[in-house]
Amino acid sequence: MKHSIARQVGWRAFTAVATLAVAPAIACAADGTAPPNGRIAYVTTDMYWGVYQTPDGKAECPDGLNKYGPREVFAKLYPKGGTEIDTHLAREALKYYPEDSKDNFPMPEARGPIAIGLNLDGKVGPNDFTSPTGEKGIDNALYRVIGCSPQFRGPEGQFRLFGNRLVRQLTYNRSMIELTGVDSLQNDDSVQVTILRGLDPLLTDAGGDKIMPGGTQRVDNRFSKRFYNQLQGKIVNGVLETEAKDVSWPWAVFFGNTNEYRFRGMQFRLQLTEGRAEGLMAGYADVDSYYRTVMGWSTHHLSYGQLDPSGFWRKLWQHADGYPDKNGKMTAISSSVNIYMAQVYLDRGEPNITVSQSR
Amino acid sequence: MRSYIYSALLGVMAAGHAFAASAPAAAKEQYVRAPMPPGIQVIVTELEGPVFADAKGKTIYKWPYQSLRGGYVGDEKGRSTCTNTVTTTSAGLFSPYPPGLVLPHLDTRPSCAAMWPPVTAPADAKPVDKWTVITRPDGAKQWAYDGQALYTSVLDRQPGDVLGGTNREQLKQMAGRYPVGPAPKIPPGFSVVTTFNGRLLVNADGYSVYASDQDGPDKSNCRGACEDTWKPVLAPALARADGEWTIVERAAGVRQWAFRKQPLYTYNRDITLYSQQGSDVPGWSNVYTQRVAALPKPFQLIDTQKGVAVADAKGRAVYAYLCSDDSLDQLSCDYPGSPSEYRIAICGGGNVERCLKKWPYVIADADARSDNKLWSVIEIEPRSGRLATAGEAGAIRVWAYRGSPLYTYADDIEPGDVRGDQVGEMYGQRNGFMVLWVRDDFSHSET
Repeated sequence: MKHSIARQVGWRAFTAVATLAVAPAIACAADGTAPPNGRIAYVTTDMYWGVYQTPDGKAECPDGLNKYGPREVFAKLYPKGGTEIDTHLAREALKYYPEDSKDNFPMPEARGPIAIGLNLDGKVGPNDFTSPTGEKGIDNALYRVIGCSPQFRGPEGQFRLFGNRLVRQLTYNRSMIELTGVDSLQNDDSVQVTILRGLDPLLTDAGGDKIMPGGTQRVDNRFSKRFYNQLQGKIVNGVLETEAKDVSWPWAVFFGNTNEYRFRGMQFRLQLTEGRAEGLMAGYADVDSYYRTVMGWSTHHLSYGQLDPSGFWRKLWQHADGYPDKNGKMTAISSSVNIYMAQVYLDRGEPNITVSQSR
Repeated sequence: MRSYIYSALLGVMAAGHAFAASAPAAAKEQYVRAPMPPGIQVIVTELEGPVFADAKGKTIYKWPYQSLRGGYVGDEKGRSTCTNTVTTTSAGLFSPYPPGLVLPHLDTRPSCAAMWPPVTAPADAKPVDKWTVITRPDGAKQWAYDGQALYTSVLDRQPGDVLGGTNREQLKQMAGRYPVGPAPKIPPGFSVVTTFNGRLLVNADGYSVYASDQDGPDKSNCRGACEDTWKPVLAPALARADGEWTIVERAAGVRQWAFRKQPLYTYNRDITLYSQQGSDVPGWSNVYTQRVAALPKPFQLIDTQKGVAVADAKGRAVYAYLCSDDSLDQLSCDYPGSPSEYRIAICGGGNVERCLKKWPYVIADADARSDNKLWSVIEIEPRSGRLATAGEAGAIRVWAYRGSPLYTYADDIEPGDVRGDQVGEMYGQRNGFMVLWVRDDFSHSET
């Protein structure tokens, strides 16, 4: 192979994934000492949807990247213009009623045997991928949908770029985990993982760009109840693995968004150190809420990455592979998020507040 | 007059006459009294505070030059681009849509100046203070304030109406018109912003100031540990008391501003501008130069993942609809009687029935009423959203905020759901739905 895997997936992602894979064989940075009172918390600093990439994209996208975004579709459908109602408004309508679409523009899917993610169902099936480090049975059907979309590919894909940047910038995205009952950051067969949301800016270095461990976050006890959750987990050779559980996760991609992803059977696999937690957050993304959340991105911004709403909606449902409804229709799609967190101290000092006090 | 405008006028008249009444007696914002041209007056409005109005009491607006994704629109200082010419095609101001698309209802479409009548000046008008006179493209004279050409809105009918636009950030139209008013009477180092709750007093950087119910009139009892959290807003050595503003001597040479005899503080834990977080601390509250009236029954407040929202009687989040078209005129399409195709595209994919089901109006009970101008009960024809004529069959009574109907969203199912927020073009600000937010703790950008 001409290029190393590290170059293909990016050094940070590679480091995290590779470390997870070889964790049993290496000594972790954590010294194995229990954190004070058996508690340690981490705050999210970076997140993006797991997309395995080769430098030229030809291995996973032999048909090329998606070319038909809202701008291109509009030009194709209405070369002579028309009325606002029949063109512009008709296209915006399809964003919210994509089932009405009669479009059939090509939208290439990611192929190849490799994808980032976890084996969510514990099986090795014919549609499963192999991880960049060789783990079989990886479930990430979402990768087929987004892997050849310029919106989601790094480093410049707009959804990836802004989605990740706003993880840092918006308090709305200040998701955190707290580990309790930790006897050792190296090995502990039972820890509890609590998902919380903070209220404060992230601690940066003097340059203002690198997020540093050791910051403090006030825990929001009032507006974040829908995101609160608890998972059982274990730490093996410095890697946290949790049970699978349904969670809602706040992730706004624009200022003022109230976006949230609803995962079915979400689980963490994170390499832990005293200062960082890095790895994967994987599960079955509820298709309806996933589509809504991505469509929280304006048509203007969707155009930058050639992501046409109705074509995207069709592909999501086509590849949904989990949580069938009573009619057998799959309602969720296997997925994976690369997640990076920094250690943080929690301030629980604020009392719960009643609504009446806010006015 | 063209039916498009007539419909708007009819609607606002109905809303205003039938249900709105004067606001309850409460403190009003004081303002700096500066020279004004003859015929111009100041009216203290419920939400926007003091605004300039013409001789008939109609609120005065400006249309500042602003950038949109596809270009600039509005008035540069010293000139008006709002003319009597009817625009027929879109301007392509919002990518990815190109210019040249034919705008709806050209047979009834008004010109910019028909919707926004210029505040005309007599031929011999002379500049006064910040008021100047500009020459319109047709040669007529028009008043300008701080260089911005001034207009009234055909949507405003009664003194105190401010339906043409708002300075409140959340419901501000992109490239819209905004009411113009005199400067608030506040010392240097303070500012006032329009919020859902009223005119919020903040410091010059935009951070909220607070008052404590443990303080006496012109006396601070915040000492020691209290001062670690609450920072007194200090007055300069040369500052003097004036009207509602007094000075509390905390110690020799340490002087603290007080407003309406309440010593003022900032909250050390505030990280957002215009924050209400300090009001969560028992005994502390934000300070307003004037408050809006209480929510009418049956509305209530709910907690959501972003903050506090207005909800209906069943606790479902309530939404406003915002719309302006893609013409160089930037005409509104969100008031009763405006082209409904914009809204129906978003709420129903072009299908009215789906729209009514997915985004139902907030129905008003038979005895529902409001005692203020912000909230009203109006009768509409539900399919088009226009105001109903007297006795019209099929008309329904719905709640309105600032003259336009309110909605709930059928996909909001669990308590606190706000899944419809920002549904529509450009995050709901362009042609879409926005929750009526009372408080937003999470949207600010930090770095």
